[in-house]
Amino acid sequence: MKPQEPIPHNYPMRKLNLIFAVSSIGLLLVTGVMVFYDYIRGWKWYQLEFNRLQADRIEQELNAANDATTRKRLAELDAEMKQGQVEIAKNRDQYLLVQKELDDWEGQHYAADQDYRFAKAKLDAQRYQLETSVLQHRADSAQQQRTYDAMLAHVNELNLRLQRVTHDRDAVRARLDRFLSRIKELEDRKKELTANIDLFNKQLGNVELASKRSILNLPMLDFINPTLKIDQVVLGDLFIDMNYMSVPRVDRCQTCHRAIDRPGFESKKEAERLITELQGRLDRNLIQPTKRADTEDRIAQLKRIVDAKQDILNPFRTHPRLDVFVGSASPHPLLEYGCTSCHRGQDRATEFSRAGHTPASLRMLQRWEKSTNPLFPGPWDYKKRNWGFAENPFLETPMYPRQYYQAGCLKCHAGQMEVDSGDEINKATHIVELYGCHACHKINNWRFTDLRKPGPNLDGIGEKTTPEWAFRWISNPSSFRPTTRMPSFFFQRNMIGPAVPPREREQNIRYQNAEIHSIVTYLFSKSTHRAWSSPPNGDAARGQELVSTIGCMACHVAQDTVKDDKGVVRVARRDDFPLERNYGFNLVGTGTKTHASWIYNWIRNPKAYYATAPMPSLRLSEQEAADITAFLVLQQKPRFMQTPIPPVDRAAVHDLAKGYLINTMTDVEAEAKLRSMPMQEQLVYLGQRSIEKYGCYSCHEIKGFEGLKPIGTELTIEGSKAPHLFDFGFVHEYTHEDGEKQHILHNVPSWVYNKVRSPRIYDDERTKPYNDKLKMPNFHLSEEEARLVTTVVLGLTKEKVAANRMAAADPRLRAVEESRKVISQHNCRGCHVVNRNGRAIAALINDPNYLPPDLTPEGGRAQSPWLFSFLKDPTVTKIRPWLHVRMPTFQFTDSEAATLVGGFAADGSQTQFDTMRYQTVPQQNAAIGREVFAMLRCSQCHSVTPVDPANPPLPNAADSQSLAPNLTLAKLRLRHDWIADWIRRPDEMIPGTRMPTNFPRDAQTGGFQSPLALAIDTPQFAAHKAALLPYFQDEQALRKTMADAVALTNYLRDYIWSIGIDQMRAPGSGPGAPLAPANPQTPSTPSAPAATTIARR
Amino acid sequence: MTFLKNFINVLSVASISFILLSSVFAMLVYFCLLDGRVKTKGGTGFLVFGAILVVAGLFVRPLLYLAVAYFLVLWALAKIGPRLWEPKVGKWLLIAGLGGFALSMFDPNFYLIAAKPDNVPIVAMIFLLAIFTWIALRKAYLNDHAILAGGIPYEKTESDEKLFTWPDLVYTEMLCMILLTIVMVVWSVGLRAPLEEAANPTSSPNPAKAPWYFLGLQEMLVYFDPWLAGVVLPTLIIVGLMAIPYIDTNPKGNGYYAFRERKWEIGVFLYGFLVLWSFLIITGTFLRGPNWNFFGPYEYWDPNKLEPLVNVDLSELVWVKLMAMPLPKLWVIREAPGILIVLLYFALAPALAARPFRRFYLKMGGPRYYVGAFLFLFMLALPIKMVLRWLFNLKYLVHIQEIFFNI
Repeated sequence: MKPQEPIPHNYPMRKLNLIFAVSSIGLLLVTGVMVFYDYIRGWKWYQLEFNRLQADRIEQELNAANDATTRKRLAELDAEMKQGQVEIAKNRDQYLLVQKELDDWEGQHYAADQDYRFAKAKLDAQRYQLETSVLQHRADSAQQQRTYDAMLAHVNELNLRLQRVTHDRDAVRARLDRFLSRIKELEDRKKELTANIDLFNKQLGNVELASKRSILNLPMLDFINPTLKIDQVVLGDLFIDMNYMSVPRVDRCQTCHRAIDRPGFESKKEAERLITELQGRLDRNLIQPTKRADTEDRIAQLKRIVDAKQDILNPFRTHPRLDVFVGSASPHPLLEYGCTSCHRGQDRATEFSRAGHTPASLRMLQRWEKSTNPLFPGPWDYKKRNWGFAENPFLETPMYPRQYYQAGCLKCHAGQMEVDSGDEINKATHIVELYGCHACHKINNWRFTDLRKPGPNLDGIGEKTTPEWAFRWISNPSSFRPTTRMPSFFFQRNMIGPAVPPREREQNIRYQNAEIHSIVTYLFSKSTHRAWSSPPNGDAARGQELVSTIGCMACHVAQDTVKDDKGVVRVARRDDFPLERNYGFNLVGTGTKTHASWIYNWIRNPKAYYATAPMPSLRLSEQEAADITAFLVLQQKPRFMQTPIPPVDRAAVHDLAKGYLINTMTDVEAEAKLRSMPMQEQLVYLGQRSIEKYGCYSCHEIKGFEGLKPIGTELTIEGSKAPHLFDFGFVHEYTHEDGEKQHILHNVPSWVYNKVRSPRIYDDERTKPYNDKLKMPNFHLSEEEARLVTTVVLGLTKEKVAANRMAAADPRLRAVEESRKVISQHNCRGCHVVNRNGRAIAALINDPNYLPPDLTPEGGRAQSPWLFSFLKDPTVTKIRPWLHVRMPTFQFTDSEAATLVGGFAADGSQTQFDTMRYQTVPQQNAAIGREVFAMLRCSQCHSVTPVDPANPPLPNAADSQSLAPNLTLAKLRLRHDWIADWIRRPDEMIPGTRMPTNFPRDAQTGGFQSPLALAIDTPQFAAHKAALLPYFQDEQALRKTMADAVALTNYLRDYIWSIGIDQMRAPGSGPGAPLAPANPQTPSTPSAPAATTIARR
Repeated sequence: MTFLKNFINVLSVASISFILLSSVFAMLVYFCLLDGRVKTKGGTGFLVFGAILVVAGLFVRPLLYLAVAYFLVLWALAKIGPRLWEPKVGKWLLIAGLGGFALSMFDPNFYLIAAKPDNVPIVAMIFLLAIFTWIALRKAYLNDHAILAGGIPYEKTESDEKLFTWPDLVYTEMLCMILLTIVMVVWSVGLRAPLEEAANPTSSPNPAKAPWYFLGLQEMLVYFDPWLAGVVLPTLIIVGLMAIPYIDTNPKGNGYYAFRERKWEIGVFLYGFLVLWSFLIITGTFLRGPNWNFFGPYEYWDPNKLEPLVNVDLSELVWVKLMAMPLPKLWVIREAPGILIVLLYFALAPALAARPFRRFYLKMGGPRYYVGAFLFLFMLALPIKMVLRWLFNLKYLVHIQEIFFNI
């Protein structure tokens, strides 16, 4: 073969080999890098870190459990045990003998047992043979039967033998046990003592096992059963709407938030709160006796958390309020609700930024954005909160920043007036309702529909005030009343602010003044002009006293300054007072705003001024009304009326009116039209257009604007809108009117917050024609108010929730919610506590004995027919005649009253009508009840003398503490069964009630104790005992009853029922039916119209 | 520095780079490939074009910048000449390009767009295109020289040699594979996948962009009616590509790089591929921002930026502006000028066949010539329409809304 000719290579092989070597190593390296980057995940690190934390925590618990006393007791037990063993050793021979005997018997037992079991197995097989042979009519069936019988007998015999052997063996074993019993008992006690320690050791072992098995977490091995793995909850019915399909929610948050649902990792603040709560429940014996020890342990654990050097940081904290959220016994267990259904965020993400965490402030954002190690981003130093955060702009549902957490409630709770434990969201929705956001911005969910307009009807404005006042008021409402809910429309930031060029500013001022003039002209030109009768002479001092005592202050405030904590007097803000007291206007300056005749007639019958007036009638007598009028007229703000009013600027009116006219006609036509209009007409025209522009009609009823759609953007799904749909303008930071610097982050929460806080802010630096400038008025919201309003707006999302997950969906709860809406709309909480919330007036009444009643248990308490009559006409009964505060006549429609009554009944889980009220009480029960009544000294406070329900006398009480309702009225008013329940546990129904607790709960059993159990035998009660004995079989039965709280209270109820009055007059039919009774002591229905006092001009 | 940035911005706002690229190509073709000397004959045309630019620039400010840049490039190319194909010059050009790019990355706005994970491959595409085009033209240049000198193309000298499949082919292929894998791994580790939110019919992204390879078509939508830009022209692209083997019957240049023997073929191809396709992709990626507005490379993509919408149709120009009368009611009359212009444009093909391009007509024969000329006229229509848009705000030449027919 010819040797092959060498063919030259195209490339030098050495070089190729070198490249190959280098690139192969490179490939290996980058593959390593790839695996490494794929492998290091922040959540793994968190899980490791949490394991360490948990081990520390368990050790801490272990040390706490293994304290000196426990160790000492263990040592004692050990010593005792040793002694026991010594004793056994003494009788060693005997012991061994018995032991041997037992071994013997055990052997026999084993054999007997086996014989029996085998024989039984054979018997079962033979039974089958027998059955088949009978079934197949075989010839051998008789033979089979005989065999079976023989075997059965054998089995029975063997069974007997087994029982004998067992018995004998047990006897020997018992002998042996006598030697060992002492040791065994000691062992049991030791086990009991160390139960906790063993538990902790086991837990510690589990945690340590995780680190021992860490080899399973190595790359390529981690598919087997790694200790670090993603933890998730799949929620099928809280789905995520992906536009084209609904996908189940898969929350992986607890992959990092390890301790979110397990107690023991609370923040210090939460731990302190829990300690107070648990201790309180312990002290009031509200914790089941079996749970007391656990609760005490838990408090000790929480105290250790509070005392610990360092606070536990997220993501390792326990969720606050586990009893409400996340906890398995809470209404929102983790496995059913997950995390993102409330918090929002990317459910499947396991990395900080991708999960949709949203910073609450610029500072937080800047801290988050830093990264400890940019090349290997991860939570290496989570204590610094430097996450290398980068916002995920494509996430449609970023998490709510922490100050808006409660926004998440609204998704499911928008059908409720208030959410249990949702203090913030309740206040927030209340603010939105009260300040009237819903009036301009349609919010299409149950909570914010069918609400009244927040402003008064302006049809009669000319009767009430003067154009001069109205001009000044519209220009700057808060200078007249700093707490007013009327927002400022004019002279705002985008009109006269620092960013507006001087020339434009000057023009804006002219235009704004022209608009105000025109609005005032329009309103007064359309106003009615009824003449109101003038009041008789009144006494201002008495008027002032009346205003402060009869309940005006439940809805009104009468001050425009307050003293702050340091005693410095400053201008009042709305949030200096409870929301309920902002319901009515601030009485400051009433005399400046309006005149005596109007005030007089208004306070006597507000509905005469306009039919839907929210103000109820307090059934004032002529003299009372005159006194109050005299007082209110004195409420003057003279300086306000000195603010100059610029004259009507004809050119400005012309310009503005023309601006509107040329929308529908040419410039020439508009000029001609304006020339043909006198100034007054131009003003009315411009006024109408300006009211339309600013949307005054959204809050006020104004003639000519009936049925117009509200002016604002609909907010129904505002919280779901993407940030790019919001106009951020050119501002990133600005100085707020209160002088503080504000930053606007580029996210929806920040936009909304700054919008409600400073509504015209996004016009800064922009060039816009006058009519295109932002129009939203300034409500002068405080930071807190703005935060709450923002919370509501963010909570209004398009996320759908399955019907079964909506809160308060069943008909009973719907009835409750409907009634709560009426309650909120009529501000009942100004005076009453409803559902443990309200009674704004309480702060103004020094003696708690004069407080209006707490309605929390009203549903279970009041009979619906009585409640209905009372709501329609509060004068039908007077339960607490000593109160100065009057229950007003609201002039509820039948439908409103029925809604309220039905709602209360539903709230108390009661039917509206029951037959219990026709119950006749057995004579004997009433008699026993009477004795118990006397023994418990109920009559010290409660009168049992029959009275006129509409006008009972003042109770003749020694002190205000003893003021209590007359019990003869109970049958009219109270539900039969509720009475007994109330006597048993008044403090549980209404914490802090004046009704004494006669039957305290027993700390050990949690049952009721009776004070009469022992007292019955004291000489003091001898007479009662004698009177009672005839009703009982013997003394034993009497004693037994006297110790039985339930029986006693039932007797008391029967007694109260037996003395009850059956009749009261019908609502609206009482004496003195005319509106203003001559005698204030006998108020009556105000349902007759006030026509007598109003004469048409 | 600011001046420089502004300068570049203005250039780009006028879509300068587009014309720049096309003219540069023409110049590359004519001046640099063979002997590098500006031919007086060819040069006149370019000088005339430059003069037109200057005059137009007096009315449309951006064009003045364009004219300056145009003459600068003209001058530079004349200066460099054939040295452009020297490896050293190529290397320096590449370094200049990369260096300029690297420097630009210090500008936050430039960085924001160029470093977006979606755009990184397009950045790479720019450089790869430039490098490979340069290499191909350099080889063509060398071969052309060799052939002129009576030699044979380089590829021919190679074709008789023998090489082993291993290691010469497979080994190098494997090395490429490994190196490419390294690049891909580093890339995928270093940049996150640019995933966006779940598709949502109620919220469209701004700007709404086609996939990168279709950005050229999307850019055409700016200048043409959708049925033309979206249906007719893409169809013609496919049909045209299929027709190439039947139109181009020139046997020269097969199997080796050459330019001189295939001036028109290669010129038309480079124009179609680099300008009509790649450059429009680059424009669509880097220069089209929110609301499909034009943004310079250093400009912030401000979604609030507004451009006035003041485009007019040819009929409005002719009847209203020129003749000062209302538009005729009948569309046939109204659109007569536009229709006439379009017809005249396509009549260029037979007209040119008579005089300057008679050579082609004779060589190719009637059908080939007409099909080729027709396709070529369509290719030219895009830049013509663009220039008309920039200079006269011309929307449509023919705008017959009555039958939804617009050109």
